[in-house]
Amino acid sequence: MSPAMNAATSPASSDALLEVTDLAVEFRTPDGAVRAVDGLSYRVEAGRTLAIVGESGSGKSVSSLAVMGLLPDTARVTRGTVHLAGTDLLAMSRKEHRARCGDQVAMVFQDALAALNPVHTVGYQLTEALRARRGLSRGDARRRAVELLDMVKVPNAKARIKEYPHQFSGGMRQRVMIASALAMDPDVLIADEPTTALDVTVQAQVLRLLAEIQAERQMGLVLITHDLGVVAGVADDVTVMYAGRAVEQAPVVPLYAAPAHPYTRALLRSIPSASGTGSLPVIPGRPPSPAAMPAGCPFHPRCDAVRDVCRTEVPPPATPAEGRTSACHFAADTMTGPGPDGEPGVVGRDTGGDHE
Amino acid sequence: MGRYVLRRLLQALGTLLLVMFVLHLLTTVAIQLNGSPAQAFFGDRVASPAQIASVEQRFNLDDPCFDQPGNPCLGPFVERLGQYAQGDLGTNLRGREISGIVAAAAPNTMRLFSVVLVTWLALGMLLGSAAARWRGSFGDHGIRLSSVLIDAFPVFVLLVVYRYVVAVPLNRWSEQTFGENSWPPYWFKPSFDSSHPWATIIVPGILLGLAGSAAFIRLVRASQLESYQGDHVRTARSKGLAERRVVLHHVVRNSSVPVVTAVGLAFVEGLGGAVITEGIMNIYGIGGVLWQAVRDDDVGLVIAVVTLLAAVTVVVMIVVDIAYALLDPRIRYE
Repeated sequence: MSPAMNAATSPASSDALLEVTDLAVEFRTPDGAVRAVDGLSYRVEAGRTLAIVGESGSGKSVSSLAVMGLLPDTARVTRGTVHLAGTDLLAMSRKEHRARCGDQVAMVFQDALAALNPVHTVGYQLTEALRARRGLSRGDARRRAVELLDMVKVPNAKARIKEYPHQFSGGMRQRVMIASALAMDPDVLIADEPTTALDVTVQAQVLRLLAEIQAERQMGLVLITHDLGVVAGVADDVTVMYAGRAVEQAPVVPLYAAPAHPYTRALLRSIPSASGTGSLPVIPGRPPSPAAMPAGCPFHPRCDAVRDVCRTEVPPPATPAEGRTSACHFAADTMTGPGPDGEPGVVGRDTGGDHE
Repeated sequence: MGRYVLRRLLQALGTLLLVMFVLHLLTTVAIQLNGSPAQAFFGDRVASPAQIASVEQRFNLDDPCFDQPGNPCLGPFVERLGQYAQGDLGTNLRGREISGIVAAAAPNTMRLFSVVLVTWLALGMLLGSAAARWRGSFGDHGIRLSSVLIDAFPVFVLLVVYRYVVAVPLNRWSEQTFGENSWPPYWFKPSFDSSHPWATIIVPGILLGLAGSAAFIRLVRASQLESYQGDHVRTARSKGLAERRVVLHHVVRNSSVPVVTAVGLAFVEGLGGAVITEGIMNIYGIGGVLWQAVRDDDVGLVIAVVTLLAAVTVVVMIVVDIAYALLDPRIRYE
């Protein structure tokens, strides 16, 4: 294991396992290049969990595909570096980059039914990489597959490795997906909305499992989600993305206590709670299309605290507190302002749950 | 899996009986409306009623039901089923055993089909996979363009051009270059030679396969492109597997179901091409036998050959169905 493990408790001084710096990804479209990720930076240390939160289209999945070298042909990285254990993945050839995947950094995809191959047995898929890349024998592979399924708590593993993905329930399938990502003992695991396709109760089980495995192996975990409610229980750090940029980055507790960006604040307000009064505040409007980015702060058309400067100038990254950044002109004011349960301000209370 | 196969077998048997019965009904109606085909036996000569009667008796046409329009003639049908079940296909109008005719003609058709199938699979899988893998490249456009070009040339044009323009000079050149008794002159012989059935059938088979492969190439390309879009391919790549392995085990393997379907269909459709190919290249095969039988009004031979073809089709379809189940576990456990 890497030396970073020992320093896991003091993140400021440790080396990052995965460090993304100023990443920008563009898509080629008939209307010209469109920037899906713009200047994203984050770091993940051993034994810590970073949650990347954002709406669909905020660039959270695209950025992780860029890390894995799995961008579609229409997309390319235009700027930035992705350092994995000290070496820049993006400077490597495609083949070298691919060789790091699975081995040092692995990914769990959402919708395990589609992400697993329907025509191969679960056992085959769990150990395919081990057999093809590390030359495991058939017998060793079978034993390893059983071990992996046991690890993710799939009952009756010995019999189930011979079955196919469609014979598993949704939650069990996602466990298989997680086990297959862990097959080669990666240092960093990227989980892209691993619980989105699951029932709420199963969601909690799968998240708990991920957290357990992460703690046990002292992996770095990147948890991508659109659900801030999911984040609170498992994450150490949070990166909130909006329109391809990180609008706020902070450790989880201070972020919940005092968000330093109006978008984060609005997201926190729109988490339903059991004691809620029936109507849920929503963020009015929709995220901007990357092809038609508004001038100034990309969030200003939907912001409840918008001022003139927001309409014209892109906010520089601010540091409202130690270890936190916020891309808001008024980050410090936002942080000290009303908390998530405070007055909703200009954000209108709406009737429905049609946020998302 | 066992139950799946059993169910398919029973379905196949039912299909075969249905085909035979429909065939029987059609010929019965034709006889009832047009009169006894026994006259065809005598050609242009005028036969006495006694001679006609003896022929009708010989070919099982003497049942009175053939004179009653609307009567399904179940008696003769059951009788024929019994004969077929004992391996007796009857005789043609000239008195030759139909089983003998089939035994002589079928091997050549099988040879033709195997060359066609190999050509098909080789061209379709190689070119289709290449076009899908390097989608939008120069090669992809080239492959698609040539597949359309091939489609624009019907198989008989290909064969006639080959036979009258290409084969003779090639045959002569190879005789001079390799000697008269070497293989190459036989490959390029402009017509079939029953003493060298394989050598003289390769080129016609390749041409027929080429003609059919055009659509197959496009099908393989399309079904693999769909696989490439699949999330499971992204997963395979995320495990760091080499691209070659991803393509073989996650793209080609996953797109094999539509491909197998196409191979099954091609086998059945290939018969039309076989009639033409056998005709142009003078191959003594099932297609030619059937064609001649239809022209001679040889009812017994037509029924026997069509029944045989139906049986082959049904068997091919069973093989395809079993291949489905082997290739896609979701079908196996339906």
